[in-house]
Amino acid sequence: MTDEMFADNLKISLRQIRRLFVLDIFGMSSLLLPGIFSAMTGADGLFCLLIGMAGGIVLLWLVAANMKYMEDDYYGYMKDTAGQIVSDVFMVFYFLYFVTLSGYALYELTTLTLGWLLPEGSFDGIAVLLIFLAVYACLRGIEGRARVYEIIFWFLGVPLILMLVLAIPDVNSSYWTPIVASQGEQLFRGSTSVMIFLLPFNALLFLRPFCTKPEKLAVCGQQALLVVTALNVVIYLILLGVFGQNSMGVLKRPVLTLMGMVNLPGGFFTRQDVLMTAVWFFALFALLNTGIFQGTLVLRELCHETKKNFSLYVVAALAFFMGKGLFEHRFLGEIYDIYQNCIALPGMYLILLALLLFYQIRTGRKAGKGATMNVEE
Amino acid sequence: MPIQITPDLQENIKNFEELFSDCEDIKKRRIKVGKNLKSECYIVYIEVTVSSVDWKDSAIGKFLGTLRTLPETQLADYVRENVADVSDANPFETLEDAAQGMLTGDALFFLDGYNRALKIPDKGYPGRGVYEAESEKVIRGSNEGFSESIKLNTALIRKRLRSPHVKVKETFVGRRTNTNVDLVYIKDLIHPEILKKIEERLNEFEIDGALDSGIIEQLTEKRKFSPFPQFQTTQRPDRAAMAILEGRIVLLSDNSPVALILPTTYNSFIQTSDDYYSRWEIASFTRTLRYVASFLAMVFPGLYLAMTNFHTQLLPTDLLLSLAASRQGVPFPAMVEILIMEIAFELLREAGVRLPGANGNTIGIVGGLIIGQAAVDANIVSPIVVIVVALTALCSFAVPNEEFATAFRILKFVFIFLCGLLGFFGFLVGLLAVLIHLSHLESFGIPYLTPFVGADLSGYQDERDTFLRLPLDFLKKRPVYTRQGARTRLKFNRENEKNQEGK
Repeated sequence: MTDEMFADNLKISLRQIRRLFVLDIFGMSSLLLPGIFSAMTGADGLFCLLIGMAGGIVLLWLVAANMKYMEDDYYGYMKDTAGQIVSDVFMVFYFLYFVTLSGYALYELTTLTLGWLLPEGSFDGIAVLLIFLAVYACLRGIEGRARVYEIIFWFLGVPLILMLVLAIPDVNSSYWTPIVASQGEQLFRGSTSVMIFLLPFNALLFLRPFCTKPEKLAVCGQQALLVVTALNVVIYLILLGVFGQNSMGVLKRPVLTLMGMVNLPGGFFTRQDVLMTAVWFFALFALLNTGIFQGTLVLRELCHETKKNFSLYVVAALAFFMGKGLFEHRFLGEIYDIYQNCIALPGMYLILLALLLFYQIRTGRKAGKGATMNVEE
Repeated sequence: MPIQITPDLQENIKNFEELFSDCEDIKKRRIKVGKNLKSECYIVYIEVTVSSVDWKDSAIGKFLGTLRTLPETQLADYVRENVADVSDANPFETLEDAAQGMLTGDALFFLDGYNRALKIPDKGYPGRGVYEAESEKVIRGSNEGFSESIKLNTALIRKRLRSPHVKVKETFVGRRTNTNVDLVYIKDLIHPEILKKIEERLNEFEIDGALDSGIIEQLTEKRKFSPFPQFQTTQRPDRAAMAILEGRIVLLSDNSPVALILPTTYNSFIQTSDDYYSRWEIASFTRTLRYVASFLAMVFPGLYLAMTNFHTQLLPTDLLLSLAASRQGVPFPAMVEILIMEIAFELLREAGVRLPGANGNTIGIVGGLIIGQAAVDANIVSPIVVIVVALTALCSFAVPNEEFATAFRILKFVFIFLCGLLGFFGFLVGLLAVLIHLSHLESFGIPYLTPFVGADLSGYQDERDTFLRLPLDFLKKRPVYTRQGARTRLKFNRENEKNQEGK
């Protein structure tokens, strides 16, 4: 029996990866970006999305360029290219990113639950339940996780598209103006926000050993990026057209408010917001899971852990405390914002650039040495 | 240390009677044979397994008749040379093997001067004939069902698959029961590694008795704590034959009318035989209905609780008011009310199953109509809860496989608690947990959720036979269970293809 026959072959298909990343990126970005744009750029948020996408393409190009030289896994490639110490520093950087990402996803998911599904619930209770679920999902490796999102993709996608289509009659196109009215700084900040939401694409670097066709990982990421950007553009245009910039600015989660307003023709349900919350619930859970899984993967490499799940429990605990901290202390949210803008975003690009540079230098040296030896011979 | 059968008949008789002392159901006969009736043979059998006392018309009778025409000196040689005339197995060399042969329901034959024992088949153990399968009813298709005899069951499969490629591999399970277990498959379709894995799993345990295929199923299952069965069961030979044609392996166990099919997936549990006998529109409609039913059988009462207790804004005001009015005077919280009705319903179902046929139906009527109505009249439960529970029950009955439906019935209670305590959030958490669990589940290397996941393994061909069962013309490939290179199951010859293009 070939390896791909087995359920526990530790390999996932490109379709699974594509769907996983669409949900990872879409959940958080569609929930938060409209609010950020309405506060900063208004209708120019559309340009921010497009510029952000361009940034994402650059990121994916860097990912692809590095993956071209990878023989096995990312950590091994880093060690070969930049040496043990530098690669450990980079791994710590990734670890911090994924742990904070999972903490933030947990915070968002729990506040979404508290706001829309269970207002009288407690943060701790909900967060613990979600963390348990995420740990359960991670325990069996990547395939189980990928399969969940592969199967629910259209179950979430079809109702979402239907609701967006039904919202179109309420769109007032005059709200889409004025355009090109924002200042450069606002556009820059809007675009960097988009790019921050695209940073989970870095997880692609670690997926090489788990993918059936690793050479197509970056292309898969690009497809996911296009889908997410298209969805975000449509959602933003609809939200802007329905609420206008000012009203949207005061809404907590405009896309969920929109879901509550759409009337199903001849509908049985009077409001769909609770039902449609499922889309973002599953999408944010996907991101939480990705954060914990990737964080565990990095920690395992750093600690040379082989069998036990110690790293998983550590990452899960850290994510819980990070989420709880963000919920209880507002300033932590601001610090996280600064970290994302000033450290995580530039750091991700710089690491990939540096690795490419190191690789070129190293191969150049090798080639030089080889040439010298040939001459001596 | 096994006891060897010797040419000395008296010694063999002594050993055999020691082994089967105090076994009054075993008939032991010493019969004179040879032209002058000076030689002796010894025939033993379980009382009811051999048809007539004088055996005149039976194989044994004819065999004895022949032996009485031969000189005594030639008897042993004759038997040695003509074993195949009367026996379907090689002669036994040891007493233990011979005893085992007799316990399968055949007669044993010992002859003076012959150091072997022959197994001579006759009527065999009593058993039912071929009856209609009691579960998995179909509107169209064969009504034959498996019986308790493994030989009959393999024959029913052979009747449908008349190909030399169909193989039957025999093994025995149970130290004391020595239950015959057959693995039936088509050699050139299966993944040999799956067969190997199944055989390994069968050898992983040693149990004193395997009285039904259910015991083998439980002992060979990988995820013991999962509510979902990892082996598909069937009582229908046509379903088993269809599975074999898909490259799956059917496990038959003696004394059990239930065959196990492996590997299996969620999708295969929802499929029925007549899905393929009916037109594709009907098959697709009923299959989609069954998918929805399997989901609702698990979540419907929970969703009712979530909507009425936590998210009333979802429902139209009129409906909400009518729900509130119907609950007036009911002293219990909605969750307790649902639990009471669900437990009452499960009790009725259990009582209905255990009681004999006609009484079982009475229980249904008494429970469903009288107790239900009385409970509503007494304000113990509201009419809407009776409707919810009844609809949930209908949904669980629509799932074609009993074991699979039971998984949803158990999970239904988990959802009642989750949704009753946490509302729609509980529903989502429960759904996610079930999905994560199902996505980890596998049956002999095949993901349980195939082809909704991992469809790339079969080039996305298996997706044509899921919610919708596309016309048979589109189902040219066998599912993922079949080995690569043997997946084509439908081909049109050129003429047919041209005709189709012309149309």
